[in-house]
Amino acid sequence: MPLSRRALLTGAAAAAGVVVVGACGAPPDTPPAAPRHGGRLRAVFQGGGSKETLDPHAPRPWVDQARHKALFDKLTELGDDMTPVPRLALGWQANPDATVWRFTLREARFHDGRPVTADDVLASYARILDSAAAGRRGTQLLGELDLANSRALDPRTVELRLRAPVVELPTRLAGTGMAIIPAGTGDFGRPVGSGPFRFESFDAGTSSMLATRFDEHWEGAPYADQLEILSAGLQARGNAVLGGQAHYADDLDPTFARIHEADGAVRVIRAPHSGMQAFAAKVDRPPFDNPDVLGALALTIDRQRLVDVVLAGKGEIGNDLFGKGYQYYADDLPQRPHDPDQARWLLRRAGAENLRVTLNTADAGTGFVEAATLLAEQARAAGITIDLATVDKDTYFADILDNGVLVNESVGAMPIPNHASTHLLSSAAQNVSRYRSPEFDAAYRNAQATGDTGRRTAIYHDMQRRFRDTGGLLVWGHSDWIGATAPALSGAVAAPANTLNWARFDRVWIGAGA
Amino acid sequence: MTRWPSPRRLLALGMTLVPVLTAVLGPALAGLPHAPPGGPYAPSGPHHLLGTDGLGRDVLTTTLQGGRSILLLTLTATLLAYLLGGLAGLAAATGANRLVEQLLLRPLDVVVAIPALLLVSVAAVWLRGEASAMALVIAFAYAPRIARIVHAAALDAAGRGAVEAMRQQRESWACIHLGYIGRAALRPVVADLDTRIVGVLYLVASANFLGLGFGPGSPDWAVTIARNESGLLLQPWSVLAPATMIALLVVGVNLLGDDVLHRPRTARVGAPR
Amino acid sequence: MCARLGWAVGQLSCLALLVFLGTAALSGDAAVTLLGDGYDPGQAARLRARLQLDDPVWTRFGRWLADLCRGDLGRSLVGGEPVGTVIAHAAAPTLVLAGATLLVVVPLAGTLGFAAGVREGSALDRVLTTVTVALYAVPDFVVALLVVALVSVRLRLLPPTALGADGATLLTRPELLVLPVLVLCCQSTSSLSRQVRAGALDALGTGYVAQAVRLGLPRWRVLLRHVAPNAVAPAVQSTARVISSLVGGVLVVEVVFAVPGLASELISAVAARDVPTVQGITLVLGAAVLLVNLAADLVVARVVPRARERA
Repeated sequence: MPLSRRALLTGAAAAAGVVVVGACGAPPDTPPAAPRHGGRLRAVFQGGGSKETLDPHAPRPWVDQARHKALFDKLTELGDDMTPVPRLALGWQANPDATVWRFTLREARFHDGRPVTADDVLASYARILDSAAAGRRGTQLLGELDLANSRALDPRTVELRLRAPVVELPTRLAGTGMAIIPAGTGDFGRPVGSGPFRFESFDAGTSSMLATRFDEHWEGAPYADQLEILSAGLQARGNAVLGGQAHYADDLDPTFARIHEADGAVRVIRAPHSGMQAFAAKVDRPPFDNPDVLGALALTIDRQRLVDVVLAGKGEIGNDLFGKGYQYYADDLPQRPHDPDQARWLLRRAGAENLRVTLNTADAGTGFVEAATLLAEQARAAGITIDLATVDKDTYFADILDNGVLVNESVGAMPIPNHASTHLLSSAAQNVSRYRSPEFDAAYRNAQATGDTGRRTAIYHDMQRRFRDTGGLLVWGHSDWIGATAPALSGAVAAPANTLNWARFDRVWIGAGA
Repeated sequence: MTRWPSPRRLLALGMTLVPVLTAVLGPALAGLPHAPPGGPYAPSGPHHLLGTDGLGRDVLTTTLQGGRSILLLTLTATLLAYLLGGLAGLAAATGANRLVEQLLLRPLDVVVAIPALLLVSVAAVWLRGEASAMALVIAFAYAPRIARIVHAAALDAAGRGAVEAMRQQRESWACIHLGYIGRAALRPVVADLDTRIVGVLYLVASANFLGLGFGPGSPDWAVTIARNESGLLLQPWSVLAPATMIALLVVGVNLLGDDVLHRPRTARVGAPR
Repeated sequence: MCARLGWAVGQLSCLALLVFLGTAALSGDAAVTLLGDGYDPGQAARLRARLQLDDPVWTRFGRWLADLCRGDLGRSLVGGEPVGTVIAHAAAPTLVLAGATLLVVVPLAGTLGFAAGVREGSALDRVLTTVTVALYAVPDFVVALLVVALVSVRLRLLPPTALGADGATLLTRPELLVLPVLVLCCQSTSSLSRQVRAGALDALGTGYVAQAVRLGLPRWRVLLRHVAPNAVAPAVQSTARVISSLVGGVLVVEVVFAVPGLASELISAVAARDVPTVQGITLVLGAAVLLVNLAADLVVARVVPRARERA
């Protein structure tokens, strides 16, 4: 079985990456206008107070990722369906067992004039894998990288050697915290990257980062002269774009979309399939170690009602699987029905009538408490009593790894294989449902060594089928990513967070679009 | 001779009783005409007189259910605060020894130094919406303020000539301190009662609004205001109904306070004591 | 005076210890909150080692206290910035907000309350009482939500947030201050004017005022020389209280208007289990409120006879 030798992709593919994805609620189509240059663009994202950092390998709140995207590049980024889009990498090829990869770099420069070289790539990955450091987000994704044996073949070709096959390496390199920095950088007080904007200043007190246009960016200079990226709370973000204080507001709630898609005060942009909304039931302990009880709970969920209420209809119902709309998604599986009677029957069979469980919830994610409240109501129809326990929101995601039997879970956009490796494998750090299946792990390793896309897809489908009935993940919806642009901003497209076109300010301009 | 209450008092009573009765009887009445859940922020209609909130719950029903928690917590916390603060303040003012006064007042100043809402915000992480614990923390936060006022008022009273005269007449310690000074100090303290209740009510409400109090799923008035903030333009009642209840309660308590606590004062001006 | 300063230092030490124990007892630590939804036990252990969170509570408190004695408030566990810098940045907008509010509230509430108090029962008194009660009735967070929705979003008259503004920006762009100060004023004007009114009434009821009136002193003289000073005593202490409750109101306002101030910094530091920042902010707030109370006591000591003897 020869591994498909990927043709060297060219810059054209990258340009084609800018695809308008269902900008729902956009004003009627207007004839495209010529982009305008100049101006200072202001965008506001969800922040984290003093948690915010300019270290591109340790991003925390969304605002960090937006800032890092303006200042840095990665070898690859993700398209809306989670396939890799070449960025600093022009293209790549792998040996048949996907353990040796060669990435060709495009001609690009850092803001200080130095060229981006293979050594910078190796230094960046070495920094991410630094075992003495903490908080680096890409460590898990680079887990198989054998850094000692990787090398620069020439300044523009880097050879990465892996300890185990990873056929998805190009999508992994597009993950969170994978930015390429100049070799030798240790301090990010004044970060230098190769991104479309050059760092100007950062004021932690007001959470404001200012950057200026980088004319020598490999993809061409951005339209706006300056970019200011700020952070604020949910209501303040919405109010800022409504009050003309920001050109773009990110991560708004569905109610905002509902109101302003109707009144047209701002342009609401919504990207579908941007986040998985779920309940996670721990399958390593009673009562959900019994597949009948787990199945009963899955049947009591009125998914459409949850989407209609919690997501205000701005989303789609889930089928207990991550990654609807992404590459490898098993969309041939029948939709899980809402059937309280069948649920009662299953509970009787399991001898678990009058089941009573506690759902640990917190305001740790948008809609968590709302979804939990509705589930508790819905479960009554099947004779299940769900007690809501509101726990600490600040430590929620660490607490739920070990504690409780039923919890809220949400995961942003990422490739299905990455989700499996970070959330579903026995060794995965964020395995909330405590699913442990040697067969699933083996199938994953098999897929990573399978070069043929068709056969690999079949393996992933099989894994999803296996996982869905016993995995403990009750995915009720897939939410839209909701942002809003001021009437003055043109060229913005809707894209899920974590993907190439999200928080991208080099291809938008200030000035009427029509 | 029984007198018919003045219209002013009737108004005050009425304004207080609406939210209080809502809080007391509401939970029993809530959802009596059982209405099917609606869409989020649905407009007012036959099933939902005031529309629905963000969860599709009937606004009228949640408003009926949401008063008990805030009212109970406010009253308990106020009572506790008076008990703690009043005793400490009076003891400090009437103590024979200056050291005792300092020892009583200074530690309280430590608490006063932390604004109440901040105290609650630090404590909130432990409390997790536990009502009894919240009442204790709030009482703890308010007691020093009451103690200071009691202390100042009692000092003021103790400085009056009457006390000197009573001392010279060899009145008993209890008669002077508890009888005269205590009673004199009671006036400014009780005059403050309505403000105090309202202050505690606000503290509870603000904590709940900021997500530091009752759980986010609670029908509590302030919690629902915060949760329905984004739907203000879609279904204003989801915010305005609970807000009106809080406002009525505040006005009612204030007017009632003015009316009831005010009357003896008018009579007192210029009257010999 | 020296004794009072000594007490103040003692109180602040108590406060520091209380806050330290309080934050140390919270569930989770900075390592957990830093990693957020990317939590991974291995990473957390490394972070803990780097932040020296594995040391016993007393060692950490001792280290913090030793640094404090050298005038060093330590560094934020999450951002790595010196806590002093964090506080200096965050305090400016809060001070501007609180200062602007006091500048409006104190003269306004003083005049209104005194005028209402000396003419108890008059039309003026009734109108003022009604207005202040009505203003007081609506919780500040509701006022904030309503003015933003109506004045900023619907009518677009004033900016809805203070996005990206620091203390200096707030001063140079007063339009950003109008709505937050308006919200803060509603509550504090009402409560303070009621206190002043009560104080004036109280003073009017005292024997020496009645005596002064009987002696035939002109009314304005009685009011200014005998009533006003005695009305001031409770009012000054109330002002101290208003300042401290203003910090609570400021918190709501900071959250709604996205002002990067001290109160919201404290909340986010608590959420992040950033113990040195929590310590630093509570200490600074505590010291400020102690100073205000000290000043209030000194003023009261000047006007209330027995207190003067003891001061």
